[in-house]
Amino acid sequence: MDDIVKKSHRLPVLRLPIRAGRVGLVLGLCMLAGFAALGLAGYVFTLPPPDSMDLLARLSGPSADHLLGTDHLGRDLLARISFAVHISLGAALAAMAAILAISLPWGIVAGLSGGRVDSVMMRLADIIMAFPMLVLALAIIGFMGASLQASILGVAAAWWPSNARLVRALVLAAKERDFVHAARLCGASRVRVVLRHILPQILPPLAVIISLETASVLLALSSLSFLGIGAQAPTPEWGAMLNEARPFFMQAPHMLLVPGLAVTLAVLAFNLVGEGLRDILDHREPYQW
Amino acid sequence: MRHYLFMRVATALPTLLGMSFVAFAIVALAPGDPVMQELRAMGVVPKPEDILAIKAQYGLDKPFFPRYFDWLTRALTFDFGNSIASGRSVIDEILIHLPATLALALSALAGAIVFSLALGVAAISAGRSVGAGLRGFTILLVSIPSFWLALLLIYFFVFQLGWARMVGDGSLGDLILPALTLSLGAGASLGRVVFERVRAEMCEDHIRLAIAKGLSPAVILFRHITPRIIGPLATAWANTFGALLGGAVIVESIFGWPGLGQLILQAISQRDFPVIQAYLVFMGLVFFATSLAADITVILSDPQLRREVSNG
Repeated sequence: MDDIVKKSHRLPVLRLPIRAGRVGLVLGLCMLAGFAALGLAGYVFTLPPPDSMDLLARLSGPSADHLLGTDHLGRDLLARISFAVHISLGAALAAMAAILAISLPWGIVAGLSGGRVDSVMMRLADIIMAFPMLVLALAIIGFMGASLQASILGVAAAWWPSNARLVRALVLAAKERDFVHAARLCGASRVRVVLRHILPQILPPLAVIISLETASVLLALSSLSFLGIGAQAPTPEWGAMLNEARPFFMQAPHMLLVPGLAVTLAVLAFNLVGEGLRDILDHREPYQW
Repeated sequence: MRHYLFMRVATALPTLLGMSFVAFAIVALAPGDPVMQELRAMGVVPKPEDILAIKAQYGLDKPFFPRYFDWLTRALTFDFGNSIASGRSVIDEILIHLPATLALALSALAGAIVFSLALGVAAISAGRSVGAGLRGFTILLVSIPSFWLALLLIYFFVFQLGWARMVGDGSLGDLILPALTLSLGAGASLGRVVFERVRAEMCEDHIRLAIAKGLSPAVILFRHITPRIIGPLATAWANTFGALLGGAVIVESIFGWPGLGQLILQAISQRDFPVIQAYLVFMGLVFFATSLAADITVILSDPQLRREVSNG
């Protein structure tokens, strides 16, 4: 028994029985791999270019020529959603990178310095958080002019403060551990304490946050594109494709189903991975009645 | 309590001031010259002295901070100037559309709260497999973008079943589908919060004691868990309300609901800065008031905090 406990401490992931969260994690990772494959499909199979029009086959349903059908300009939907993987997921990852680039240093500095620096930094974050997130993103897009870049910046500017708060909370818990104090007393430099002792502690919960936030950023960006103020019309982006499909609602329902499912499944994949990771990190056992 | 309220508002003043500064700075730093835009909107080929005159009229010849204080004093009387696109007073335009958006967001919030409590309680009291299934269902619902959900609901309820109509006149019946769209997603994510909170409480010793005493699940849930999670839930509701205010833009544009969403989308495409600015300020204020209400609920629902507040 003692042996098992010791072993399981080294490998916490393997200790758990098969649980819903782990099934979700594997499922989410498989779906992400599927999206990567879809994004690379254009390099492996010969797909028509996403902008090439086949006007004779307008609004046609799935067929041997066009596996997922065509849109109102006769463009191949499979080629378009495959190309959109780069744009939609690329935009979400770019926004996420920008959010982390601000929130990670912000949260770490605030959490470690404490006192006045901490309260000023958190006050500044609070000011941004006082606006509803999507509303602030809309306003920023309004002033920059509608484009995919503007929507990425708008989302990043509206999303970073809540992340900075989460990072700070993680750092506050992490810096109180005895081995961090010990490292400090041994004369380790601040950079070393952060890189060697604090970051490794906050990385697992941070992975959960990143995954869940990527899902919400992806949702926001595709919503903005759907509203016509993100990625602009000919660009193959899932939200923008749905926006273009709106007038053809009744004639060609597949035009709605294909990009809508793509967004939903991509968001679902990130949510499943995030929830699955959280489940694995969660060691509480509720009392059952 | 009154003292606490006063202090809470007083400490929020810097935040409010900061919000106004953000709203002002975004416009002041925005690329593009508003004067040239207004002149172009009027169809005038500007002469240099015209430009100077208009700049003086709007105070744009002054440095950044004096302009901010001018703007702030006018904003305090809710004077945001005139819309560049329509020429009408911005505050009038906002006030025409604000009630519809608030009605949509509030009814969606009410729907989401009911839905989330039902989901959360069901997930807690169900067995392992059903509970896992319910959680999977909420993750799926959270992942469906509201614009796609709206289109699917329109497809089924308007075109297939004919229970609702597409082109509404802003009456109460037309509110159902947009509110349902918003509340399904928001309710699912709130449902997860309910589940998480109840689960966290169930790891506590006082629940273990209650179980050991032989209390029934219903009594444990309502007498021992509910009072402890009301505060955190109120905070989550306030945050959800903020998300609904933003999400309303998407749903309003699909269902043609005559709220602020239509106004702001138009303003973005026409680069109508005063309207966007006022929209940002008003949504910020509404959200601010909601968060304040949530904070007060947190205090009222926690006996320890309540005692501290009434003594201090």
